[in-house]
Amino acid sequence: MAIAKAERLMNLALCLLGTRRPLSKRELRDSIEAYVEAFGPGNGPGGNDDSFNRMFERDKDDLRELGLVIETVESLDGEVGYLARRDSNRLPPITLDAEEAAALGLAAKVWQQARLAGAASGALQKLRAAGLPEDVDPYGAHGALEPRIPVHEAAFEPLMLACRDRRPVVFDYRKATAARPEQRHVEPWALECWRGHWYLAGWDRDRGAERVFRLSRITGKVRSRGGRYTAPVPDVVTVRETVASWAGEITDRSARIRLRSAAGYPLRAKATSVRELGDGWDELEIPYGHGLDAWLVEFGPDVVVLEPAELRADVVDRLRAVAKG
Amino acid sequence: MAGKPVRPVNAIDQTRRMLSLVTYLRERPGARVEDVARAFGITEDELVSDLDVLPMCGTSFRGGDLLDIDTDGERIWWHNPAALAAEAAEPLRLAADEATALLVAARAVATLPGLRESDRQALLRATAKVETAAGEAAGASSRLSVTFESEGGVFADVDRAIAERRRLWIRYYSPARDEVTEREIDPIRLVSVGHTYVEAWCRRSEARRTFRLDRVAEIKILDEPSAPPEIELRDLSEALVQPAAEDPEVVVEVGPGGRWVAEYYPHDSADELPDGGLRITLRTPEPASLRRLALRLGRDGRIVSPPELADSARQAAREALAAYDGIEAVEAVGGADAAGAGGPRVVHAVADGPDGRRE
Repeated sequence: MAIAKAERLMNLALCLLGTRRPLSKRELRDSIEAYVEAFGPGNGPGGNDDSFNRMFERDKDDLRELGLVIETVESLDGEVGYLARRDSNRLPPITLDAEEAAALGLAAKVWQQARLAGAASGALQKLRAAGLPEDVDPYGAHGALEPRIPVHEAAFEPLMLACRDRRPVVFDYRKATAARPEQRHVEPWALECWRGHWYLAGWDRDRGAERVFRLSRITGKVRSRGGRYTAPVPDVVTVRETVASWAGEITDRSARIRLRSAAGYPLRAKATSVRELGDGWDELEIPYGHGLDAWLVEFGPDVVVLEPAELRADVVDRLRAVAKG
Repeated sequence: MAGKPVRPVNAIDQTRRMLSLVTYLRERPGARVEDVARAFGITEDELVSDLDVLPMCGTSFRGGDLLDIDTDGERIWWHNPAALAAEAAEPLRLAADEATALLVAARAVATLPGLRESDRQALLRATAKVETAAGEAAGASSRLSVTFESEGGVFADVDRAIAERRRLWIRYYSPARDEVTEREIDPIRLVSVGHTYVEAWCRRSEARRTFRLDRVAEIKILDEPSAPPEIELRDLSEALVQPAAEDPEVVVEVGPGGRWVAEYYPHDSADELPDGGLRITLRTPEPASLRRLALRLGRDGRIVSPPELADSARQAAREALAAYDGIEAVEAVGGADAAGAGGPRVVHAVADGPDGRRE
């Protein structure tokens, strides 16, 4: 039960933080009510029954997730003891003014993913305990802005942890145009959210190359693999550039089209030149990147491609497929 | 304030919070429940449930005392602060996840192009201080990043109009109809979910509408005061616009190359087809807007129903082809870039739903 567990973790944390000498597992077991209640006093030989040990290990891991640095010390007679030293657990002095505090207050609210939302509030609470100024309404200071970071992809959390801990992973991935997913072995480097979607950059072991994956195309579970990374992690990981090139935003050529007057505002917004032809049509010069053909076809009879011929052929080809429908 | 923060109830978060609480309460005898709840960003009920647990906690090793903390519902009293040695109650260092969550969010907010300069400066100063205080724990935060998109000038004008409670005039692009319309809106709030939107009362349609800032072609702040009617703010965390049950149904069948449709359009169902494609059923207040989708899909998919919609796409394609016959005879070129279809471009160009129900 959640309450019982929070109480147990809290007591373990306070014991480890309050002690000046390492406490043995047995001393901890005898001191914490929740352990005594669940497993009885550890007065047998060693008192190390398996279920207590498993719980104790999990509890220590949970506290480490919260940022507690717990040291394991072996004494001269071979007994293992634990403690959380003050100097390694103390927050260094930090002084924030009211404006800075309000800005952080706004930032702490943007996560919509449970784990990170909890962690961001936890960070703010630690800073509050350290004297972060209060009484400032972050919304008041920032007008009506409500930024939100969306995380709908189930693969997000396991991949975030894998990136953090530098653990290789394996998952099934369905490419945009593939019917069936394919298993991919990846050394994850970084996650990036762009235009509301999450992407993973990493080393694809099957391809022997750097790859970017869209999280929504990962099907099934992300599983961790043991072992180390085999490829060096670059200092700067550029997810956005890769995604932008998929999106046709990296262009080195241009196309010339005719566009019906008043139609196609987004094409006009991207155009490098617009010339009125006077017959109800305009002529536009627009950057020609990946996917432009599919985009132009959306405008139906309001767009006519003039050049290059390759683009015109692609558009006509697409239109024919629809006309046959 | 709408947009409830996500607040999971779990032992880890509660333990984390209680560790900070003891530090905080030790310095503030008689602190008010209301103030503490606000400082910790939790409800009073959550705080009270923490206060129920704390008296069961202590450094109980070798007869140490439990924490004698209680509340009369208004103030919180700690009767034996000495139960916790001063050094055991010092503020704790940030965990890696805490530093990551706060720093990544702060850097993301700082990228909002329309953020007021003074706020951005405050955020950057705070970020630098937190990085320093977090030390090694800040390292992993570079493995996560978020960029909000918004049109800087438009954002600044909307933000100012909201602050000064003034009406806005905009020219707005509607992808569903491929047209730019003028309207006056009373802005209510700005929301960033990937893209940035303004939620407003639209005077023309007399209804609440959500406008995507990168589709605002032109904007002016008017002298008239903004007077949106009292409306309840919705929780926008799921999707900005949910299709309504009474909206007409559209069925689209796509091949493997059109599976992306299921990623971009909110839908009722997506059933696997034997060829690796999908049969997608969705609802939209304006089925005509899907003509663009049918044109875009080409050989990767087609509209199954309603049949009028399928016809109108075919008709549009024939009309478009006629224009090419007029220019020159077009050679059919095989192996066109069909595989390159779909993908993120559609985010930009197609009516991807979340810009409000149009009148």
